[in-house]
Amino acid sequence: MKIPVTAAVLLLTALPAAAKLPIVDIPPGHTKTFLVIHPHHDDHSWESGPAGLITKLVDAGWTGYFLRVSNDEKDGPHGYPHNDMVNLFEAREATENLGIADVISLNWRNDYMDPTPHNEIRGQIILLIRKYRPDVVISYFPWGHYDRNPDHRKVSKAVGEAVWLAGFANVHPEHRRLGFQPHRVPYKFYTQRFDYGKGYEPNAVVELNESNVRRKARSYWLHRNVRLRGATGRRLRQLLKDQALEIPELENLTDIEAHARMQEWSMYDAARKVGSENGIEYGEMFSHLDEWHPWPGLNDYLQANAVDQ
Amino acid sequence: MTLLSQRTAAAFLTATLLFLSGFGLPAEADENKAVLVVTADAGDYILAAGGTIAKMLDDGAAGYLVRVTNDDKDSWGLTPEETARRTRDESEKAAEILGFKEVESLGYRAGELGGVSPTELRDRILFYIRLYKPTVMFIPNPYAEYVEALDRFYVGQAAEDARRAASMSNYQPPFAVVGLETHFTPELYYYAQPFDPRRREAESSATFVPQPKILDIGSTFDKKLRAAQALKTINHSMAMRIKDRLESTGRRLPLLDNVDEASVGKLVEINVRKLAEIAAQDTDYSQAEEFHYAGVEYQIPSKYLQ
Repeated sequence: MKIPVTAAVLLLTALPAAAKLPIVDIPPGHTKTFLVIHPHHDDHSWESGPAGLITKLVDAGWTGYFLRVSNDEKDGPHGYPHNDMVNLFEAREATENLGIADVISLNWRNDYMDPTPHNEIRGQIILLIRKYRPDVVISYFPWGHYDRNPDHRKVSKAVGEAVWLAGFANVHPEHRRLGFQPHRVPYKFYTQRFDYGKGYEPNAVVELNESNVRRKARSYWLHRNVRLRGATGRRLRQLLKDQALEIPELENLTDIEAHARMQEWSMYDAARKVGSENGIEYGEMFSHLDEWHPWPGLNDYLQANAVDQ
Repeated sequence: MTLLSQRTAAAFLTATLLFLSGFGLPAEADENKAVLVVTADAGDYILAAGGTIAKMLDDGAAGYLVRVTNDDKDSWGLTPEETARRTRDESEKAAEILGFKEVESLGYRAGELGGVSPTELRDRILFYIRLYKPTVMFIPNPYAEYVEALDRFYVGQAAEDARRAASMSNYQPPFAVVGLETHFTPELYYYAQPFDPRRREAESSATFVPQPKILDIGSTFDKKLRAAQALKTINHSMAMRIKDRLESTGRRLPLLDNVDEASVGKLVEINVRKLAEIAAQDTDYSQAEEFHYAGVEYQIPSKYLQ
């Protein structure tokens, strides 16, 4: 027996996985302000982090603010309050290295965010979007699969809503009492771990130069509380020695300095890998939503018909 | 497998295939069809699925619309209360154009569903599944990425759960006491506007998993367009937000130099025509809509389908 089929069912094959991604430049700035909204102090500077784009925006004259949503109390070898304080201090140092103007910590309890009201986190972000009126928001990908970190999931969803709801006057109308007007964020750059296979496929690449990568690599280990371990540097050098190998660049460095140097190389490797896969020297991958994303049926028309005043 | 379970399985399969043989028949069978559309907001289901729904209703199916939020945020220069009132009227007019028999508005505040219990939302939708006993459901696709209006995600997730739970008697026993018996909806369409670049990729399994499906809407496109244009408050808001963005960045769109009913209507037409064109890409259709579809044929292994 054959099932009657009433309409065409199209099973289309997947796109080739190895296709190069389009290279996007930083968007035309109006306020030339951007917000980096992450749950954790160190989310901007790691292999899948957006620190290269941050430095690129700063180099182009933009002003950036970093919103740390959690208090990072779990991350590090100390107790809760000590980790919170040290991680915030190091977040300021690491983002200053990238050129970020200020750090605002929302201080929600790290990895205990499930009972935190979604709409409350979102409301705080909407208020800050209306204050700073960013052209660009950088955060985690709100629709990501396989992200095991609960704070990433929670914050990315709040950001994903805040960037467009901030544009509606009837959302948090009390903000008008402070003089803040609605503001829809026109450009979004979202990231997630890009080694999650089909769980996450970015749609754009930002080209970086060596200076962008250098600052990103340094910001990575500036989070010393969670990144640098003398014992790890010592162990890695011992492993090399056991195999009668040596890396001249690591000579005359302390164990901690050696660990930092190796982490920098790892960051260069990650940027170089993205670059080589996309025909450039260094790159970062993003899910990029542009200005007219909310209206997919009008995108082409607006691009073609909007004119200068 | 025991003899009993073999017989049970064979009986189930026979019953299922007999049931299936009634599907896909033209107009006369559609008179027994009931279509339940669940939407987060007044506009999304029209833009993503309005043509397909109108075709089913034209063919004789009874249509029921459950609109979960009150759309109170989406306006320009109106209070939330006035926005909600106007959009309710306009969404009922739009539904009438498409041929719906009934419209229910649940009244949740737009953009606030992240704070609503998913179980509560599921059970509100479950009520209507048992009340209307649909043969077809349309729900927002909660798996679609790049959809910024997350109300659609929450509603899609709740509706998908409701469709499953409505068929099981241990969900909401009080409903059975008041006469709402369990009901399984055999066909399910997941809809979304074309935000997701991977929306046409086939899912991993040909059975048990919804698959991409594209349908011709040439015969009902005009109805879809008129329904979309009936949402005057939302459309005016869209036009003003585009105009505001352009003006704040030193640009203008000649069509919106005067924002009035004619210019907004034209903007909506451009949008709806382009959406139909995007969905028709790489098909023989000129105007279409895209879905992920879970019909009965996806609920039994493919080896039994031939």
